[in-house]
Amino acid sequence: MYRININGQDHDVDVDGETPLLWVLRDILGLTGTKYGCGIKVCAACTVLVNGEPEKSCGFSVAEAVGTSVTTIEGLSPDRSHVLQQAWIAEQVPQCGFCQSGMLLAASALMTEYPNPSDSRINDKMDNICVCGTYQRIRAAIHRAAEG
Amino acid sequence: MSTLEITKGTVVNRRQFLATTGGLLLAFSFEDNHHAAEAQGLPGTQVTGFVRIGADESITVLVGGGEMGQGIYSGLAQGVAEELMVDWETVQVGPVAAGLSWLSGGSTGIRRRLTSMRTAGAAAREMLIAAAAEQWGVLPSVCSAAHGMVTNSITSETLSYGSLAVRAAAMPVPSAPPLVPSSAFRIIGTSVARPDLPSKTDGSAIFGLDVMLPDMLFAVVKHCPVFGGTLRSTPPRPPGATHVVPLGNAVAVVATNTWQAMEAARKLEARWNFPAGYLNIDSAVIRSQAQNLIVNGPAVVAESRGDVAGAFAGAASTFQRNYYVPYLAHCCMEVLSATVHYDGETCDIYAPTQAPNAVLGAAKAVTGLPADKINVVPTFMGGGLGRKFEVDYITQALKIGMALRKPVKLMWPRPEDMQHDQYRPMALVRVRAAMDASGNITGWAARTATPSILGQRGPLPPSGVDSQAVEGLVNLSYGFGSRLIEFARHPALVPVGFWRSVGASINGFVTESAIDEIALATGADPVVLRRRLLAADPRSLAVLNAAAELGEWFSPVPPGRARGIALVWSFGSIVAEVAEISVPVAGTIKVHRVSCAVDCGMAINPNSVEAQMQGGITHGLSAALWGEVPMKAGRATTRNFSNYRVLQMRESPQVDVRIINSGAPLGGIGEPGVPPIAPALANAYARLTGRRVRSLPFFPGATMGDD
Ligand code: FES
Ligand code: FES
Repeated sequence: MYRININGQDHDVDVDGETPLLWVLRDILGLTGTKYGCGIKVCAACTVLVNGEPEKSCGFSVAEAVGTSVTTIEGLSPDRSHVLQQAWIAEQVPQCGFCQSGMLLAASALMTEYPNPSDSRINDKMDNICVCGTYQRIRAAIHRAAEG
Repeated sequence: MSTLEITKGTVVNRRQFLATTGGLLLAFSFEDNHHAAEAQGLPGTQVTGFVRIGADESITVLVGGGEMGQGIYSGLAQGVAEELMVDWETVQVGPVAAGLSWLSGGSTGIRRRLTSMRTAGAAAREMLIAAAAEQWGVLPSVCSAAHGMVTNSITSETLSYGSLAVRAAAMPVPSAPPLVPSSAFRIIGTSVARPDLPSKTDGSAIFGLDVMLPDMLFAVVKHCPVFGGTLRSTPPRPPGATHVVPLGNAVAVVATNTWQAMEAARKLEARWNFPAGYLNIDSAVIRSQAQNLIVNGPAVVAESRGDVAGAFAGAASTFQRNYYVPYLAHCCMEVLSATVHYDGETCDIYAPTQAPNAVLGAAKAVTGLPADKINVVPTFMGGGLGRKFEVDYITQALKIGMALRKPVKLMWPRPEDMQHDQYRPMALVRVRAAMDASGNITGWAARTATPSILGQRGPLPPSGVDSQAVEGLVNLSYGFGSRLIEFARHPALVPVGFWRSVGASINGFVTESAIDEIALATGADPVVLRRRLLAADPRSLAVLNAAAELGEWFSPVPPGRARGIALVWSFGSIVAEVAEISVPVAGTIKVHRVSCAVDCGMAINPNSVEAQMQGGITHGLSAALWGEVPMKAGRATTRNFSNYRVLQMRESPQVDVRIINSGAPLGGIGEPGVPPIAPALANAYARLTGRRVRSLPFFPGATMGDD
C-alpha cells in the first residue's frame, strides 16, 4: 500500500511499487487527464508536477511519489481559471488536445521559474511532443499569460 | 456555446438524446444536399445530424463524424447557428452516435456537409416562425427571427424559440427553406471559439483511452512481429494476466490495470507462423523492385493528353529524375484503443474513430447482433490522421469483449501502434519533361511505382489505376503541352493506408521538386516559371502570388538563408508555401519561417483554417526531415518516438497564413497544408547548398531521447 498526495488529497493505493505513477493516476484513481504517449520518457504527454517540478509520470514510480506532492492537470485550477488555461483558450491552442495536459503543466513549471520567458527559453525548456503542431500557439499563449 | 459531448460522466448516446422530449427535434441527412426530415421514430442510417430546440431554450446541434482537432464541430454548427438566427454562445455542440454518422477524412467533413447543416438550421427557423404565426393568427411573412426570438413586425410582440418549440414540432418540414445570403453572414466566416477547447485545457475531455467503465479490465495487444504472420496456438497466461485472448495475428493480454497488462505482455511466450516470402519485406528489396517497375513496368495509364512522344522527339532539351518517399507511420499522439462491453445481448463500443459506421459494421459482423442492439459512442480522437478510419483495433476489442463478457479497454502500446500501422505507402516516381528552345514544357511524363491502398482493400477498378496513388500527379493545372501519367502497382506486402493528404503527400513532393529543378536548369525563377504554367488558372495564380508576397519571395534573402516555394492542389483546396531556411550545422536544417497561402473556397472558421495549416506544415516537416519506417526481415523497425523523430518546440517555425476566399466550392483544410512543405524545403535546400534531395527523409536514422 502506498500513500500518495495528488492535488492536495491523500490516496492509498494497493499496487506494485514499480507501477508508474501514470497508470496509478489513470487506471486506479481515474484521473485520465494525464496521458500516455510513449511510455519511455520522450513525449512528455504524461507530465505532472512533483513538488512543483515537471516529471514524466510514465517513468516515475508510485513508490518514488510517496512523500511528495503531485499536481495533475485536474489540479491546475478547479475551474479553468489558471492564467495559462485562460491563455490557451484565448489563443485557441489545442487541436486534438491529447498533448495539452502535459504542455500546460510544463508551461506552468516554466513560468514559476521564468515568469516572462522568451521564445528561446520556451524552446529550450519544453520538450513535449505535439503531433498536431500547436507549438507556435503555445508560445503565443505563454506570452499572453506572462503579460497577464 | 459549449460541448455536451464526451466530457466526464456525460457520454451522450443516441438513445438518451432522442429520449429527451419537449421540443423540436430535426434529424437530417448529409447526402445529396438534403433537406431536413422529421425525426419521428428512429431515423434511418442516412440521417447524420440533429438540431434540437428544447422547451427549456436549449439549442443543440449534434454532428456526425469525429472531432480529431480539425474543428469539425464548430465548423458545421456554425452553419446551423447562422441559419437558425441564434447567437453562437447559445449553441451546444456534440457528436452523433453511430450508426448515424459518417467518415471523417478526405477533408470532407466540412466541405460536403455545410449546405445540409445550413438547410437544417433554416428549416428549423421556418418551422419556429410558422409556429409563432399560428399562435398569433398572422401570416408567417410578418414574422421574423433573430437572436433566438420570433418577432411579430406588426405588434412588435416576441416569442422565444423555447416557448415555440413544441408547437413548431407539429409544423410541416419545409423542403427548400431560404438560406441566408453570404453577404449577411454573422457566424459563417468568423473565427468563433471552438466548443471542444475548454475541455482540452483541464483534462476533462474524454479520448478513446480515457473511457472508464465499472469493473473494467485492461487489455494490451501483442502482434506477430512479422506482417502477415499468425499465432500457432493460444499461449499460456503469463504471470500478472487475468486472461489471454487469441486474435489470429495477435494475442490480447488482459489484466486489472494497463501497466500490469503491459508487464504481463512482456513475459508472454507466443509462437508464430511467418508467411512465405516475408524476408522480401525489406526496404532495400522493396526499393529495387520499385526501380525495376519504373524501368520495365508493367504500368497502366492514369492520364494521357496530347502527343507526349512527339514532344520528346522534338524537344530542345529534356529532363529526367527519380524521386523516392518512404513508408511513414501515422503516429497519432493517442495510440489506438477501443472499449467494449458485450453481455451476449447488447454491445456498447466506445471508440476514437474516423468511421463510426464502419465500427458499427464491424460490431455487427463480429457479434452477430442486430444494429439496434449495438451502441457505438465516438469519443474524441487524440489525432486520427487517417489511421482511425480502420477497424482492425475495433475488431480486436470486440473479440476480447466477447471472450470476457465484461467491460474491457484495449490499448495498443506505442511500439505495437508503430509496428502494426497501415503505413503511408513508399513510392518511387520517375518524372520526365520535354522543353522547347525557350524553356517551355511541351511534354510531361510521370510513372509511379507504389503499393496500392485501394488494392489492399478490394479489387482495383477496371482501369487498374489506384486513384489514391496518382493524386497529385494527374489533373495538374499546369499548362504542360502534353502529358502521360502511369501507375505501376508495387507488390510489397506491407500494409498501407490513408495518411494525412494521402497521394498528395507523395506526389506533391515529386511534381514540385521537378518543377523547381527545371526552373533552375532553364534559368527561370521558380515563381515566374509557375506563373507561366498557371496562366490559364487565375485561382491558382492568386494563391501562388499570395504565398510569394507573404514570404517576400522577390526580396533579398537574409545572409545564410534561402527560400523555396511549392504549390499543391488537394481535396479541392490550393495551398502554396514558402519555406525560409538555413543550415546552421551540417546535417540539420533550421526552418525560420513558413509563409502559407490557402484557397479553400471560403474559410468557415478562419482561425481553424490557420491552425490546420500550421499543423499540416508541422506534420509535413517532421515527415520530410526524419520520417521513415524502415522495413527489415518482414517487420517495421520503428519502435517509438525514440527512432521516429518528430518536430519539437525548438524546431517549430513561425508559420504565417493568408487565406483567400475565392468563392470556389468548399475545399478541405485538414490535409492540404501538408503536401507543399516537403518540396518547399527541398527547393530551399537546393538553392542554399546546391544539393538536391530527391529521396526523403532528409536525415534518415534520426533519434529522440536516450532510448
Ligand atoms: S508517456 Fe511519458 S513521456 Fe511519453
Ligand atoms: S494538440 Fe494534438 S498532439 Fe498536441
